[in-house]
Amino acid sequence: MPKPLTKQTRLLALAINLLQLCCGTLIIAILLILSGCHKTEVQTGGPVEITLWHPWGSDQAKGLQRIVDLYHHSQNRVRVRLVFTPTDLSTNQKFFTAVAANKPPDASFVDGTQVAQWAEWGALLPLDKYIQQAGIKPTDYYDPCWKQAQYQGQVWAMTYCADPNFAFCWNKELFRKAGLNPDQPPRTIEDIDAMAQKLTQDKNGRLLSLGIIPWSQYGSANSVFTWGWAFGGKFYDEKNGRITANNPRVVKAVEWMASYAKKLGITRVNSATSGWGSGASDPFITGNLAMRCVHISTLKDLTRYGPNLDYGIAPIPGTPDGEIGSSWVGGWLLALPRGCAHPDAAWDFVHWACATPEGTAAIAREVGLLPGYRRSPAIAQVKHDPRLGMFVKILEDSKHQRPVMPVQAFFMGALDRAVERAIYAKQTPQEAMDQATAETQRELDLVSGKKVQ
Amino acid sequence: MSNQTSKLKMTAMERQHLRSGLLFCLPGIVGLMMFTVYPVLASLYYSFCNYSVLKPPHWVGWGNYQVLMHDSQLGAALKNTVIYAAMAIPSGIITAFLLANLLNQKVRGMAFFRTAFYLPSVTPAVASAVLWVWVLNPQFGLLNTALASVGIQGPGWLSDPAWAKAALALMGMWGVGSWMVIFLAGLQDVPVELQEAARLDGAGSYASWRHVTLPFMSPHLLFASVMGLIGVSSFFAQPMVMTGGGPAGSTTFFAQYLFQNAFQFFKMGYACALAWSLAVVLIFLTALLFRGSTRYVYYGGD
Repeated sequence: MPKPLTKQTRLLALAINLLQLCCGTLIIAILLILSGCHKTEVQTGGPVEITLWHPWGSDQAKGLQRIVDLYHHSQNRVRVRLVFTPTDLSTNQKFFTAVAANKPPDASFVDGTQVAQWAEWGALLPLDKYIQQAGIKPTDYYDPCWKQAQYQGQVWAMTYCADPNFAFCWNKELFRKAGLNPDQPPRTIEDIDAMAQKLTQDKNGRLLSLGIIPWSQYGSANSVFTWGWAFGGKFYDEKNGRITANNPRVVKAVEWMASYAKKLGITRVNSATSGWGSGASDPFITGNLAMRCVHISTLKDLTRYGPNLDYGIAPIPGTPDGEIGSSWVGGWLLALPRGCAHPDAAWDFVHWACATPEGTAAIAREVGLLPGYRRSPAIAQVKHDPRLGMFVKILEDSKHQRPVMPVQAFFMGALDRAVERAIYAKQTPQEAMDQATAETQRELDLVSGKKVQ
Repeated sequence: MSNQTSKLKMTAMERQHLRSGLLFCLPGIVGLMMFTVYPVLASLYYSFCNYSVLKPPHWVGWGNYQVLMHDSQLGAALKNTVIYAAMAIPSGIITAFLLANLLNQKVRGMAFFRTAFYLPSVTPAVASAVLWVWVLNPQFGLLNTALASVGIQGPGWLSDPAWAKAALALMGMWGVGSWMVIFLAGLQDVPVELQEAARLDGAGSYASWRHVTLPFMSPHLLFASVMGLIGVSSFFAQPMVMTGGGPAGSTTFFAQYLFQNAFQFFKMGYACALAWSLAVVLIFLTALLFRGSTRYVYYGGD
């Protein structure tokens, strides 16, 4: 039973109480001020600082910093602050959270396949107004580059780098050892089959070296696109908004891919590849893999880790009734997020980097990627390089880009799963592609159906 | 009169205590409200919406739950999860229980053994997953090398759809330290006098273990089963790191499917519906487990 309080203790208790109240209020006030403090940021004179989120690591990031430095030298209105935020197809949460919270960066990189999706979700600002002012014409860009930046009649991003996917490369040393002409790459899928057979070596049931692994050209989905077009297939009917990944030609391509899984034994292939690495232990450098598709950025790794590697580079083989030398363009683009604080300043940088001779040349020089801007001096410079020149040719000839539609990430996932089911013989290629098509169509209808309402 | 005033003073003091108490709890309460209660309620609301984070949620009623009923990918993920649960929960509990029994012996250097067996469970999930990718490597891995030394050619573990789930369950047995500690604590609570009484009555060590120790351990075993069930339903980091859901979708479990929908396809509404359905199923299963186990579980003094 507590004793009744004296007057002094009551006063003391009151004082303590008041003190607590004050402290509590103070803490909450401080928290509120802290959380709201960058709202009050005001630009007064001097250059405008913009934030650019980029997904690059190591060399690419250093190159981007040098590109930005060049931009700073060229003008004194805008300063670019680079912030590394990994955004790949599966981890864009950070960007979306920032946009949803109305605190986006001023500019961001966006993967070519994602432009339509991000535009559909309202994450980006349309750039048409700026493009008109700057006098940029669609013909300034390679067709696929311009096409994949467009959605619903508006332009949402500018091409930072066009990835001409892919070139085909072969190890001449392995060709010689297998008794093949080292200067004659395969031209057709049949050629690949014949050569792969000679290039495959095994010992006691264990695969030592392989000719080609059709499904591992930068992921299963990218492999299907590559071979699907090489077989003359189509993935998307833009006019009617229909997914056509179960097109007979595409199914044929998947059948061809799965035939290797069957011929070589998928578990044997997996146990062979499980020991493969990257860098200096890349199977193409160590001589465990004779033929592969290669992305422009891989060339540098091949030169760095395999300085004595004797290899050739050619267009992608295809079927005679399909497309020999088929290719498609991927790449990364720069976009302005919805709600960004300094859109004009951000555009100034995007314009410089993607649509001026200096900027696009800097990109080619500093990070070794090709711009999508036709008039860039970089194109003429690397055109006659024996290896990089092949990529310019591919870029100039390329007709395809992955479907520009708002459920592209889902489509890539569905294709990945379908190829896996086919090569593990869980389904026939026809069934697998039918399922991927139906799954994606349902998602697409959901998105476009919602718009009708 | 004086009695009444003292009562009034009491309430005043009590009120003061209440106020100070509340003030002291405030940070905790606010945190709970903001970071737990609000998100839970919001996720229930979003489960009835189409919501992609960037656009305002769009009410679709039971739409998400209807889609969920006919989702073949969800069916596959659930099947994987159930198969994995059937492998991982019993094997984990049995391993942990056997270890706890061994570590309850009076042997020299016991502190060392206990630490050694507990250590894996404080290793970060991703770090141990990366380690196990190498242990399970078909060509150079420790496991297949060990198997080869006794003349068995090990399977492709993580690259073979038939073995991938088993490989993950095998890895799970390595990290049972936290269950083991719970069992160990339980074993030390088994009354020694009862064991002695059993011995005096002529029970051998197996019989006394079976009829004294095991009944006393039953609540712990039930607890581990319930936690195992919940753990399996949210099993995510290891398959994400080690297989990415493959090969051929054989390790795409419920949690990963939910993650894909939420953060890969940004179908937050659907992901919330998945999460709430899982919560309901789990509550139901747990209730079933408690109901079904009343005959077998012995709570000390009751």
